[in-house]
Amino acid sequence: MQEATFLILTALADGSQHGYRIMTEVEQISEGRVRLRAGTLYTALDRLQAEELIGVDRQEIVDNRLRRYYRLTPDGAKRLAVEAARLHANATAALSRLDLAGGMAT
Amino acid sequence: MSDSAELGRQYRRLLACYPRAYRHESEQEILGVLLDSAADGQRRPGLAESADLIRSALWMRLRPGSRLPGTMRGAVRLMCAGAAVELAAVITYVVTAGRVRSAMAQRVPAQWHAMLIHLTAVEILAPAAVVAWLLMAWANGRGYDWARGLSAAFFCLITASLLFMLGEGGAAYAPAELIATAAVWLVGLASVVLIFAKASSRYYRHEPAQP
Repeated sequence: MQEATFLILTALADGSQHGYRIMTEVEQISEGRVRLRAGTLYTALDRLQAEELIGVDRQEIVDNRLRRYYRLTPDGAKRLAVEAARLHANATAALSRLDLAGGMAT
Repeated sequence: MSDSAELGRQYRRLLACYPRAYRHESEQEILGVLLDSAADGQRRPGLAESADLIRSALWMRLRPGSRLPGTMRGAVRLMCAGAAVELAAVITYVVTAGRVRSAMAQRVPAQWHAMLIHLTAVEILAPAAVVAWLLMAWANGRGYDWARGLSAAFFCLITASLLFMLGEGGAAYAPAELIATAAVWLVGLASVVLIFAKASSRYYRHEPAQP
């Protein structure tokens, strides 16, 4: 799973969000490393909807602007959990090996 | 006109690149996000942002059907890459044209006419080939059977062109052109192998012409 996809799904993990909020959440989660542009975001949202990992929750008009809220589907939550566990296992293995080799700086 | 209204107008112009159905569904929403993320007083879309929107719009137009087998997805991606490689080849042809012609006139005066006609034809047809790659990506992604035939015919044409260049000793006087043609040929070969793979054949048979 690409990092941007992982971050978008993570942004939706604790509740539905609209497009702009997803962009800011992704930036926050990645500590400013990943800044999605609108085109990239909507290409990803379109693909994730086609794969049924996310769905539209509701829409509303705020300041004359249409806001559509997206949520994780049960399949999306499952995929995110599997991917997070995989990344976690890899990271743990890396850190423990660095520790064993005495390579940890702190 | 206020900054925001002017910016909105410019964004709408970019969003017009998206397919009509998608625009109908999402234009207002994306426009809202673009305006939300715009800086205060911004009047024009940024260059990177515009490129991102155009790339996204192009993908929405070319994107394959959602139930596409992996081989077909790979083939469509390769054909999009083929358009980019072809464009690089066009630039190579144009940049090296003068040097190649003079080298050719000195080294192989006997074959001068045949090669000149061939090279001129390649230079004229190559820009059309960029469009052909994109057309093939779009049509194969939708499972049109004729697209598979067109892709095979197109590949034969590239092969013939490459063989002709090799046969006429192109390596000696037009190495850059030969490499560019070979790169296009490799992408063509890989995409043709993918669209004629077993998994892809089932797709053409069962899912012709998605809406």
